[in-house]
Order: sequence, then structure tokens, then C-alpha cells
Amino acid sequence: MRPPRLGHANLGLGVGLRSVHFDHILQTQPEVDWFEIISENYVDSQGRPRYVLQQIAERYPVVMHGVSLSIGSTDPVDREYLKKLKRLAREVGARWISDHICWTGVLGRNTHDLLPVPFTEETLRHVVERVRVVQDVLERPFVLENPSSYVTFQDSTMDEWEFITRLAEEADCGLLLDVNNVYVSSFNHDMDPDAFIRSLPHERIVQFHLAGHTDYTTHLIDTHDNHVIDPVWELYRTAHQLTGGVSTLLEWDANIPPFPVVHDEVLKAKRFMGEHLPQAEPAAEEGIPVPATAGTTVYHPLHHIRPEVE
Amino acid sequence: MKGEPSSLDVVQRWFQAVVTHPEGVRGGAASPEAQALIRLNRGELEAVVRRSRNLTAAERLSIYANAYYARLLECMGACYPVLKQALGDDVFDSFAFEYLQRYPSHSYTLDRLGEKFSRFLEETRPEGEPGEGVSWPDFLIDLANLEWTIAKVFDGPGVEGQPLLTPEALQSFPAERFAEARLEPVVCLRLLSFRYPVNAYYTAARNAGEGEEAPLPGLAAERVAILRRDYVVRRYPLSEPQYALLREILAGAAVGEALAAAAAASDLDDDALAAELRAWFRFWSAEGFFQLVS
Repeated sequence: MRPPRLGHANLGLGVGLRSVHFDHILQTQPEVDWFEIISENYVDSQGRPRYVLQQIAERYPVVMHGVSLSIGSTDPVDREYLKKLKRLAREVGARWISDHICWTGVLGRNTHDLLPVPFTEETLRHVVERVRVVQDVLERPFVLENPSSYVTFQDSTMDEWEFITRLAEEADCGLLLDVNNVYVSSFNHDMDPDAFIRSLPHERIVQFHLAGHTDYTTHLIDTHDNHVIDPVWELYRTAHQLTGGVSTLLEWDANIPPFPVVHDEVLKAKRFMGEHLPQAEPAAEEGIPVPATAGTTVYHPLHHIRPEVE
Repeated sequence: MKGEPSSLDVVQRWFQAVVTHPEGVRGGAASPEAQALIRLNRGELEAVVRRSRNLTAAERLSIYANAYYARLLECMGACYPVLKQALGDDVFDSFAFEYLQRYPSHSYTLDRLGEKFSRFLEETRPEGEPGEGVSWPDFLIDLANLEWTIAKVFDGPGVEGQPLLTPEALQSFPAERFAEARLEPVVCLRLLSFRYPVNAYYTAARNAGEGEEAPLPGLAAERVAILRRDYVVRRYPLSEPQYALLREILAGAAVGEALAAAAAASDLDDDALAAELRAWFRFWSAEGFFQLVS
């Protein structure tokens, strides 16, 4: 029998590190349990982003979260990129490295999007083999996340949760369960998000993601630009119960509010933990889904850090 | 019409061709590239992508197609904020849209997305009559080069935490050996030469209030030094003699040779130039231009 979280630590309630919060974090050293970084923003940095990260890594546990591994692509694995991930992980003492069950491009191109794979035996064999390669190179815990998706393929022969389960078991890797992504994809693909979460191998779940999304009425888009809505918090409650609790992280990537607002959002997770706690009140008005108006946020898996210039 | 399941490789190449096509999903699916991979008649997208309760296959694919250009255009605007301000949103986006088709990203990082933009502007500049006043493309290319250099210096190698040459150390260097000495510039020092005063424009654009526009400059050469200190990019307008002097130093010339280049570019007499030179070196060493003198 496997230990919960594959034996990895429960780091508590963390926040995705974003450059707009650099000064606040350095100056106030907030009581945050841990930070997750977007790996691509730091692997090549020789300037302030890397300097700030070093300061933060000296005080807080850090996890690396990437968007360019393209584990599902039929292009060759980018070994130079892997080496850079490995080096950065060593330098900041990353507890684990994660990316998404997706592909980002083929024929050498990068669309900078998290594109969906067909859930077939062929895809499964392909991704399992590549996860093994990645794990061999990284020599550090490797964790894969379920992305939000907007299409499904006729060729798919299994449900997403079956694909994820078999992938994690056969490649022997951890899972990053993005609870909001389960909600978004389930809405978009007419699936039951509760069944999705209940069908996963819970002892392999090492981390949770939480985020806000945008409701376009006919579909949802994973914009990370708002509060977590109440139905997602309810799914989080279920996931927490099924796993016994794992490291939980809030992502906020567009229309980013001041740091205390982001931190408060992840701290709401406490209301949904623990069988002995009373039934949580709805998270607040901000947790109510609001349909989007035209011209709202574009979803961005990766940030561009603006230079500081005098 | 699609029959048998397609291989993962075929599905991915088809999907990329469809969602990155400049004419959207319909144009992408009808493109020769996509048709060579999965031959579909119009209205047959659901042979590849399932519809949902609310959306057709085309509508679902369009979410990816719309996001592809919207995301990368937004990123290009973040790479070139002042150029975007100069051009206006619509014109900038139309240039960037064409650029992304000619030079799509091949990197794991968005930091390189805009690296060929000034080359693209050069390649696509309209034919004009040389020497006929203000050249709009030259201004844009210069401004793109400035913004790209700033971005590279911001996140490239620097000298934070390292000892630098101070004015006092430079002052104490034996005067009789100075002509043969070599000044080692900091690794982040860049010299730029422009046909238009885009550095001054950059400052004016950044200082412009909400709804204000910086006036577009007339034709006038501009030289600028850029470096990073304490993780912030600094910009220094240079005179012609200053530029000539620093250019020689960056090329590895001895101070004496660099001084000769400055003198050749200056209208001042020897005494006046000598006084200026002392002030320049004092200022540059105080601003962290040099690592050491040897």
C-alpha cells in the first residue's frame, strides 16, 4: 500500500509567485506556507526575477510548475530544457517539479498553450514512455496536472480520469489535481466532476491547484483571473477528504489583486478541510459564478515579466 | 471524410495547423496542410472533434484558435509597450499578427517571442524614397531595438554583488600608464546608435499621462548607453565623442586609442576635451560602467 501523497510532505496552503508581488513579499515576508513558481520565468533569468526567487527560496519551500515540457507531444523531448529545470530545481531546492498532461506544439513550434491529447492506448504508451525519460533526467519527484480543456476527440477510447490513473500508475509519477480544471473540463465536456475526482488514484495526488475561471455560459475558460467559485470549493472538500489533505496552491494570473487578497483566497481552503469542522458557509459573494461579458481575459499559461527601467 | 483513428502525430499536426491558421478554424481545416493530414469536407470537423451539449466542434476548436493569437499578441504588446503606444493598438496588432505567422515561437519561453520583431520590421518595410525626410519604418525599427535591448539587459547577465571600478580607484590609477590601460566594461553594458531619438521618445511616452501621447520625434541621430545596476535597467544619452570613446573601450581598445576616437569625434580643443574626459570617466565609474582597469 502506498503512503498518502506518495510520501511527499503536505506543505500547507501556498500561493503562485507572480512578479507583481515581488516587492510586497520581500518587504513584508508574509506568513505563507509555500510558493510555486512558473519554471519558465526563472530557468534562464540572470536578473531580478532570479534574484528575488533566491531570496524567497531561502525562507519558503518552493515547488516548480512548468508549462513547456509538452509531455504529450510527438516532437522529441527537449533535453536542454530538462537540464535547465534540473539545475534550477537544485539551486532553489524545489520539493517537486510539475507540468501538464498536454502538448504545446509540434514540428518545433510552441503555441504556448496547453493543448489536449486524445485519450487512446497509443497516447498513453507515448506519454508513459516520455514521463519515464523525464524522471530519469530530473532525478526529482515529478508530478503531472490535469489541464482545463475545450475539446475532446472522436478517437478517444477512455475517460480522462482513466487516462490519468493509468498514466500515473504505469509511469509511476505523482499527480497535481487542479480542482478548478476538473470543474472547467467537466462543464465543457458534459462530465460529472465529482465522479472524475472520485475515480482518481488518491494516494498519488501530491498537490492541488485552485483558481478562478470565466463563465461564457456555453463553456468555461480557465482564466485564473478571479476568486474560486463555491462549486469548486465543494469539489475541493471532496478531494481533501479523499486524499487526507495535500499541498494546496492558489493560482491568480490575470487582473491580479494585491498579495493579501490572493493569500486570503487560499486560506479559505481551511473552511473546507476536516470532517469535524462545521459545514462551511459559501465562500462569500465573490465565490458566486458570474457570466463573462465580451472582451474579458485571455487565458495565459505563461507570464511575461516586465523589465524594470529608469 | 475521416475513417480509421489517426495516429497521435497526425492529430497533433492537424490540430496545430487548424488552431494557428490566421483565418481561423474554418480556414485552418480547409488549408492544404490540414487537408493533407486529415481530409475533411466542410462541416465534417466532428469526425475529429466531438461536439458538446452546447458547442459544435468548430466552436470548440475556435476557443483554441482565438486564444492562440490573442495570447501572443498580448505578449508582443508586453514586450514592446512603447512601440505599441506609438503605433496604436490596432496597427501594432496587425504588425504583430503578421510577425507571428512569419516567425512563430520555437522556444519554451515567451521571453524570446519578440526577438525577431525588428528584423521583421526591416524585412517588411515599404519601399520609400531615401533621404526624403522622416522615415516612419526607421523610427519603428529603432524603437523596437531599444525595447528589445532593455528586455535583454533586464534579465541577462549582470554584476550585482560584484566589485566595480569606483571613481576613487580610477583616480588613483597611475596617470602615466592610463593611455595603455584597458577598462573592462560591465557585462551588461550596451551601446546603441539610432537614426531617431527613440530613447528620448521612450522617456516621454512613459511619462505621458493617461490619454496623452508623446509627440513623435523628427529625424536626429541618438546614441545611448544601457546597463543594469541593482537589477534596474538604466539609460544614458551619449554625445558623439562619448559614444566613440565607449565603443572603442567595449571593443577592447586601450584607453589611449579610445581617447583618440573621442577626439576625432569632438569639436573641442584639447584642453576642453581633457576636462570633459575627466568628468565623463568620473560619472561613468560612479554609475557602474566598468568592472576594473588594468
